[in-house]
Amino acid sequence: MQYMLMIYEDESQFGADKNNPQIKALIAQHMEFSKSLGATRVGGAGLAATASATTVRRSGDEHIIHDGPFIEAREQLGGFYLIDVPDLDAALEIAKKIPLLTSGSIEIRPVLGG
Amino acid sequence: MSHQTLEQVFREASGHIVAALAARFRNLDLCEDAFGEACVRAATAWLRTGPPEDPRSWLYCVARRCAIDRLRQQRTQEKYTPLLLSEDAMEEPDSEEIPDERLRLIFVCCHPAIAAESRAALTLKLVCGLSTREIAQAFLVSEATMGQRFVRAKRKIAESGISFEVPGANAWPERLAAVLSTLDVAYSKAHEAAACDGSHANFATEMLELTKTLAFLIPCDADVLALAATVRFAEARRPARVRDDSSMCPLAEQDPHKWRRDLIDEAHAYLQRSLRAGRASFRVVQAQIQAVWCSRASLQDPPPWSEVLSLYDELIAIRDDPFVRINRAVVIAEVVGPQAALAEIDSLDGIRLQGYGPFHAVRADVLRRLHRASEALQEYTAALECIHTSAERTWLMQQMHRLSEGTASSI
Repeated sequence: MQYMLMIYEDESQFGADKNNPQIKALIAQHMEFSKSLGATRVGGAGLAATASATTVRRSGDEHIIHDGPFIEAREQLGGFYLIDVPDLDAALEIAKKIPLLTSGSIEIRPVLGG
Repeated sequence: MSHQTLEQVFREASGHIVAALAARFRNLDLCEDAFGEACVRAATAWLRTGPPEDPRSWLYCVARRCAIDRLRQQRTQEKYTPLLLSEDAMEEPDSEEIPDERLRLIFVCCHPAIAAESRAALTLKLVCGLSTREIAQAFLVSEATMGQRFVRAKRKIAESGISFEVPGANAWPERLAAVLSTLDVAYSKAHEAAACDGSHANFATEMLELTKTLAFLIPCDADVLALAATVRFAEARRPARVRDDSSMCPLAEQDPHKWRRDLIDEAHAYLQRSLRAGRASFRVVQAQIQAVWCSRASLQDPPPWSEVLSLYDELIAIRDDPFVRINRAVVIAEVVGPQAALAEIDSLDGIRLQGYGPFHAVRADVLRRLHRASEALQEYTAALECIHTSAERTWLMQQMHRLSEGTASSI
């Protein structure tokens, strides 16, 4: 079995300073943790802040692009793709094509260091 | 070179240079900072030795060098390589010529992934070189709020991987709607000052260029062509919009012989193509209204009021908008009479329109015609409080003066 473990934290506590020693320490802990998982770890990454998120809201063939992570509360995360494309437009094109049963939203967020 | 002339040169060069830098460095903050630094250096150097032969090239070359220096510093300090930046962007300047990348920058600023309320503002700042204060005033928000929007929008562009390329054909319709409404706002700001003395007036010329570029790149879109036509019809009348006494000259009183025929001919060509390209959209009808006015050959021709009124009716049928209704009231005053025009204006949401100059100016004019002098004076005063361009103010003050002297005609 494979599992996607999603980390929810209040992003505001991270602040803008990349050199904050607390954050550097946390990153080091993650590196350590990743290593300890060995072959158990299939993949994983940190995500850029929600300010960089874009959402494609889909209903049938209609789609609307939003600035921000505006997923509705009645929608739950049901899966994910990790893609490697040149820019946001390319990511949007793929997001528009992701199969959905009826309607839903796809949030696009850059992977840190990706 | 005076301080004022310097400001003027900087403002006019800014969009062109920031766009060229952005296409190369793909980092808006870096480009703005580099341009700012070039301006500071220019202010010192040019005041001492006089301006160079080609101030724009000078600014571009210095800004480009500043940007490269800053990137080198960043690299040594943080071992930081900006995303998407190729090695050749770091090479020293090879040519003095500034490539025109403004359209690319417009598409970046108007990307649908950027908050809608920030797109036009960001374009005005980066492409048209307006200050945060001016843009905040234009959008009726505080300077701090506007500053926050810029920070957020630029951060979004930097972090989400918005590409600095003109989008491919399949993304056009979506991306274009955002671009066109941005240009609408930009041009209406440029157009409002008859004497070209408003702080936005100098990008009226830029708008001719921008709409031409857009129409060249997207030759079959009715709205793109209609906007190119509207801007030309309106700019063609520029030489007739100010009287010898520096007051604004109302459209129906302008001498058509002073209008620029070259621009009117270009505008007609765009409008014809626009009409062939698609349905009569809001922008197409707006261009048709302009065309009807510009078909007047001399002051002896009667003004085309009733034709203009039926086009305004079409416009309202497409989109009922209080700003269109105010313009339509001016026409109703001529075709039907001032009483009907007043009824039209007073049917609008007066509270929402408080502080909107044309609302007060049109209402004042209609009240003057109805000989309701004291109410008219009140509206003229309200209009003067929110209209800051010189020719419009001179005209309003003349109207007020005529009214208080009791010599106002009923025409």
